[in-house]
Order: sequence, then C-alpha cells, then structure tokens
Amino acid sequence: MTGRGFRTLVGVQAKLLLREPAAVIWLLLPVALVVLFGNIPAFQTPQHDLGGRRVIDVYVPTFAAMLPLFLALAALPTSMAAMREKNALRRFAVSPVPPAGMLAGLLAVVAALAALGVLLIVLIGALAFHVHAPNGLGAVLSSFVLGFTAVMALGLVVAAVASTAGAASALGVPVMILNFFFSGLYFPVAQMPAALRDIGQYVPFGAVMDAWSGYGPLWQHLAVLAGYTLVGGLASAKLFRWE
Amino acid sequence: MPVIEVDRLHKRYGPLTAVDDVSFAVEQGEIFGILGPNGAGKTTTVECLAGLRAPDGGTVRVLGLDPGRDQAELHQAVGVQLQEAGLPDKLEVREALELFASFHRRRADIDGLLDRLGLADRAGARYKKLSGGQKQRLAIALALVGRPRVVILDELTTGLDPHARRGVWDLVEGIRDDGVTVLLVTHFMEEAERLCDRLALIDRGRVVAVDTPAGLASRGGAAQRMRFRPSAPLDDADLLALPEVTAIARHGAQVEVTGAADLVQAVTTLLARRQIIAAELRIEQTTLDDAFVTLTGRADER
Repeated sequence: MTGRGFRTLVGVQAKLLLREPAAVIWLLLPVALVVLFGNIPAFQTPQHDLGGRRVIDVYVPTFAAMLPLFLALAALPTSMAAMREKNALRRFAVSPVPPAGMLAGLLAVVAALAALGVLLIVLIGALAFHVHAPNGLGAVLSSFVLGFTAVMALGLVVAAVASTAGAASALGVPVMILNFFFSGLYFPVAQMPAALRDIGQYVPFGAVMDAWSGYGPLWQHLAVLAGYTLVGGLASAKLFRWE
Repeated sequence: MPVIEVDRLHKRYGPLTAVDDVSFAVEQGEIFGILGPNGAGKTTTVECLAGLRAPDGGTVRVLGLDPGRDQAELHQAVGVQLQEAGLPDKLEVREALELFASFHRRRADIDGLLDRLGLADRAGARYKKLSGGQKQRLAIALALVGRPRVVILDELTTGLDPHARRGVWDLVEGIRDDGVTVLLVTHFMEEAERLCDRLALIDRGRVVAVDTPAGLASRGGAAQRMRFRPSAPLDDADLLALPEVTAIARHGAQVEVTGAADLVQAVTTLLARRQIIAAELRIEQTTLDDAFVTLTGRADER
C-alpha cells in the first residue's frame, strides 16, 4: 500500500468513526466526568477507606480507561461487522488495497484515539486537579499499552464471530461493561470486597488498575494482559472471515 | 494478444460444479458479454478473473497477469464492479472516490468522473442517501477511478428502472469509446444486444456459443414470427402447406406462425387469396431470447 493510500484510508476511517454520535459521546464523556469530579469539593479531600487518596485520584485512571474500552470493545467490532454486513469488504478485495489493509487503517485510528484520550484525561487530572503520576510510570504505561492490546484482541474476536453490527455490539458491550466494573467506574476498586478484587485481577482493565495503584504483583498483571493479547490475537486470526 | 484469456476454466464448490468448462478470449477495446441464466457460472467466472477465487482447473489471464498470483498488479490495471458490494452508510460520494483513487498509481480526475456519471450534485451525499441508480453509477465510477485498461462489470443494471438502465448503458459505451476493454456480465438479453460487440452464452457452467449478438440471434432457428386473429376459420394444414412455415401454435383465437425469412409475405398472400383479414397482427424478428432457448433448450428458468 502506498503512503498516500494509507493516509487517506486512516483519514476516512477517522471521519467515519466520528460521524457516529455514540463515538462522539464516548470521546467527550470521560473528559466531562473528570472535570465534574475534580470540581466536587468532597472529592478533593483524602479518604481513609481509599488508603489516604482522594476520590479524584482514584477516578482518573478509571476515566482514562473508558475510551480505550469503548474503542476496542464497541467501536472496532461494530464497524468491522458493519463493513461485512454491507459487503464493503468485497469492494476492498478488488482494489489494490486488500481488506487486511483496511483493517490496519481502522486499528491505527482506534489506537491513536485511545492514546490521545488516555493522555488527555491524565493531563487534565495532573494539571487541573494535582493528581500525581503513579509510582513506576514505565510499568503503568506498559500496563495501559498491554491492557489496550488485550481488549483489542478481545474486540477482534468479537469482530471475527459477529456477522452484523447488532450482533457485534450484543457481544462486545457486556465485555466492555465488565471491564468498566472492574476498573472501578461504578464504585472504587479499593472499596470492593477482597474476593471481588481478586477476580478483578484477571479482568484486563482490573489488572491495569491494579498496576496503576500498586495492588498485587506487577508481573502477574502484565502476564494476565499479555495472555489475553496472545490468546485473543490467535483466536481472532483463526476465526476471522473476510466475507 | 487478447486482453482476457480464459482457457478451460473449472471451479467446484464441494460437490457442486459451478464452472465446468469455460473458454473465451476478449480482444482489446471491445465490449464482451457473458450472458446466461442465474446459476450458469457467470459470477464465479468473474470472481476467478478478479482474483477473488482460485480456479480448480484451467488457466485465466488478464493483461497477461495471473489473477491469483499478481493480485496487487491486477487491481491497479483492472477495474471491477461486483454484485452487491456496498459501502459504509456514512461515507460520502467524493470521499469514496478519493479513497479508492488514492490506492492507485494512475488516478482519474475525480471532478471529471463525477460529472460524467451525473453525480456532481451528489458529491457530498452519504452513501445511504443515494438512490439505486446513483449507487450503481458510483460503483461504475469506483471501477474507473484508477484509469483501468480493463473493466469488469457484473450485473450492473439489475434492480434499475428502465430510464436509469439506459443511462448506464450510455456510460458503458462511453467507456469503450475511451479505449477501455469492457467485460460485461448480464442476464438481460436487451442489454447484451444493445451493448456487446461479441458475447459468450453460458449455461450450466459451459460455453454454449461465442458470437456477435446478431450472429447468435440468427442461430435461433426461425427468422420470423407472426401472430394474428384470422377473420374466418383457417386450417393449420393450409398454413403448413406453405414451404416457408415451420411451426404453428394456437393461443385462443390467435394463430402464431413461425418460419423462414420470407414468412410474412407467404402467409399474407395466402390470407389475401382466401379473403381472410389478419386482425391484431404482430410480426417479430427472432431475438437473442429465441437463440437462448434454442441453444440451451430452456425457456423458463431465466
């Protein structure tokens, strides 16, 4: 594929994604939430049951996780399934860019938007609300990257087995909600019962949050995420059909 | 050297043989038709030519390239419009053309293409909002966007109203006039007759005949057919006694007579002699339809 072709493809995929009202809402929602939480006075004071951290400290990584989860588990599988449903992949199959090139363009857009979203949330948290960068920044960064590849791999499994956009969102959205739950979106991970928290270590973004907060062994979290990436990647490659 | 060469192509899907034995050659600058009923193996043949399927036997060459091996090179030089290939709902017409143009080394002028296909005023419209005819014209535009030397068009007027269909036919003739070789797949006799310089008639995975439309029509056996309601009783035997008449059929009060080229004159002379008036008279030249029935031995499955 030519550089010009790939750039045009990435531009078109980005435009198509941003034309979905749901995608725009999901892009703006985490930003709105972090600004809102940061402006509630009670969330600015250290809490005993959060280990001396503030609510805003706990929620910045959780909000940062929302966009990657939406992109990987909802946007990616539904747009792939929609392309298949509309037989648009056949059109790519007779153009100089094969459907795999089209998928690469889509993955590039999803990855870039996810990185941008995480960066934006973390920057707002740090600059506006003095949320400190976690200890072991390198480890946290790699857990976010691996966490993203893990959920992308799961999203590709969904994209591989779902033949319509509706089926893709029926399969992908529950996995997204599960990850929201264990990333502490509904209530903070630190307040979960121990048993639930132990389960959370084996859910991709539960492991990412643990790596951020320093709960449990880091190597284990990274291994869990690498495992999802590997197994999901292999399964999607095996199951994927272009038509 | 022919632009497209298909030699003893054979393709099976499990126990089902889709293409049994298909051979033909398409020359530079012609509109070559593949005509046949649904399920005859037309689309499978096209998919082998477009590199989407690997043949189980025989060879296929397009511009000297093997579609299975040289796909990227093939798709640079060959524009393909496939049946039922859609686009994302929210993609705009101009965006679609610019996207697919960006994949090619040679690119057509997008504005020129939009004008020529009558899509200039729909350039900013989303795919979902286009009418059936506009979608088909966009599909043709996408096949032309890399300034191809060959275009393959599969059932491009299916589902269009007669007016839109004629518009698309004019376009295809325009493409040929630019020196592009066109392979046209159709099951419409009228379309094949109007557009094709030559055509291959395919049935049950085999080529039945390759000829010009006129050449094929003349193989349809009888050259003329007339149908009328005689004003007085007329015996079949009297008509059959005429050497020009080959067959007679009765449809209620109407008589249908088929026969050789000078059938009409022979029958009207007979009627005049008996002072019988031929009411509701219709005369038809035999067409590709008749050739199709004669050559395939099938009438109803189209």
